[in-house]
Amino acid sequence: MVYSVFLWRKGFRRDNHVNYLLLLLAFGFHTIAMMLRGFSLRHCPVTNLYEATTFVMWTIVAAYLLVGLWSRLRFLGAFASPGLFAMGVFALMPSLDTPHGARPEVPVAWTSLHAALMSLSYGAFGLSSVAALMYLTQERNLKFHKLQAVFSLMPPIQRLEAVAGRLLLAGFVLLTLGLGSGVIDLTHLNNPQVYRGDLKIVWSAVVWLLYLGLVIMRWKFAQGGRRFALGAIGSFIFVVLTFWGTNVLSPLHNP
Amino acid sequence: MPLVVIGLSHRSSPVAVRERFAFEETQVPAALKSLRESGAAAEAVILSTCNRVEIYAVTPLEAPKAFATLQEFLLTCRDYREPLANEIYSLSEPQSVQHLFRVACGLDSMVLGETEILGQLKKAYDVALQHGHTGGRLNKAFQRAFNVAKHIRTETNIQRGSVSVASVAVELAEKIFSDLAARSVLVLGAGDTGEKTARALLSRGAHSIAVSNRSPEKALALAAELGGRAVPFEDWPREFARFDIVVSTTAAPHYILDRVKLEPAMKLRRNRPLLLVDIAVPRNIEPEVNFLENVYLYDIDDLQTMADGYLRQRQEEVARCEKIIREKVEALLNHAGGRESAAEARPAFGHQ
Repeated sequence: MVYSVFLWRKGFRRDNHVNYLLLLLAFGFHTIAMMLRGFSLRHCPVTNLYEATTFVMWTIVAAYLLVGLWSRLRFLGAFASPGLFAMGVFALMPSLDTPHGARPEVPVAWTSLHAALMSLSYGAFGLSSVAALMYLTQERNLKFHKLQAVFSLMPPIQRLEAVAGRLLLAGFVLLTLGLGSGVIDLTHLNNPQVYRGDLKIVWSAVVWLLYLGLVIMRWKFAQGGRRFALGAIGSFIFVVLTFWGTNVLSPLHNP
Repeated sequence: MPLVVIGLSHRSSPVAVRERFAFEETQVPAALKSLRESGAAAEAVILSTCNRVEIYAVTPLEAPKAFATLQEFLLTCRDYREPLANEIYSLSEPQSVQHLFRVACGLDSMVLGETEILGQLKKAYDVALQHGHTGGRLNKAFQRAFNVAKHIRTETNIQRGSVSVASVAVELAEKIFSDLAARSVLVLGAGDTGEKTARALLSRGAHSIAVSNRSPEKALALAAELGGRAVPFEDWPREFARFDIVVSTTAAPHYILDRVKLEPAMKLRRNRPLLLVDIAVPRNIEPEVNFLENVYLYDIDDLQTMADGYLRQRQEEVARCEKIIREKVEALLNHAGGRESAAEARPAFGHQ
């Protein structure tokens, strides 16, 4: 994160392979830690809020490392690092790391699949919002004729918009699959209709509709650019700010 | 035998003098042959560009005698009889080597840090090499100069960015569009800067060019030159939505494109980004259009400010470049010094 601040201050005029390597190193350690935890628990470590949050971080970094193979998109790392740091601090909050998942009666494979798909979708949404933030920064520089618009090594805004759009679409597909697997999870419960009005289910439906709206806005009505970028960032901020609260208040996820 | 330089450049003389000394490419081999036969140089390279004419020579003569002989050769060769003040400069080691390195790096160019001079220097060296007018010393000095230029290009920002209005416009286009190869360009007016900008866009791969001008003949002529098509001036608003980059240079005394005209066009474009480059004075495009989403408008002052910004950045880099050059010159000459003490018969640097 410190190196990201340095890149911001330098106006993105330095190539940021150092940032990429630092995140690669962190990703390596994170992978090892998750594997050790997974082996010790004998299931995919995505069953409680701590694990889900760190898994979202892991997917964001994995996606970044892939996208960052293209040198100019490596600046996504500088935009993502502060957010990842904040998420890491949040994950360490007490009472998130509960000893078992919310619903031990549901087969662990199914809860793991549901949680993994949901985490992957949030990871994709997170990286999409980072690309959108990068788009807004560069778009603002171009609009206001700032020298940084041409001095920086950032990619063209059209490409940033395309990256943000594709990541958001990928996230939406994963979210749909994740919610579908959640519906299957419900069938393993004794009395699933009790949870019909569960806050987390309602919240998930709202999030799905929110992202469906963005997908339609982008591809059906050609409302790309600034509005789409603001939508992607706003939606992810909504997810981040309400994720923990809805989880705590959901009898289904927090019995 | 030391390496000396004698010549004149944009810094020392006006173009009216420089053009009298310029060599045509075909004249250079004969001039080099004649120079070596005169005994003033054992090895020589002649560099002749629009901004400089220089002779780089390894001479067996003492420096003052060498300068006098080389100047006499230059004046006779170019048949120049008018009196001269300080137009011709002469340098001996280590300044001559330092000058060669500075020229190769574009530090002595009119446009600071430009790269064209390196190509011209390589070409001049190649001509001398092909005709057997270089030896160990010039080969080593020139090879080292090319290496230093490469090193400076990668290690510093001296050659980064555009310092002309046309190239800044192209750079902006590259910051907006992911691929210029799929972009269509409309040039309104047949002005010189507009033409340069259009050429620069084409050189970076722009897909197609259309030219529209009040005088259809001028539009046709420019379109033919650019390999594009001419659009009647009254028709361009109808075709406007198809273009991604618009360069406006007309002499119209009022705005020819305003927000009212542009808003429906942007709907037709399905909000794809549009770059408007207004290099006309008075301006052709209403400044308020920049408030429209996905529209990026730059006028001549904006572009000039960016070009100046790049120039300032380059000027800030000069000190770093000079330091690198000093170190490289020192390394070359010290290496040669070491060799000389090891084997006194050896030349100043390298093998003969």
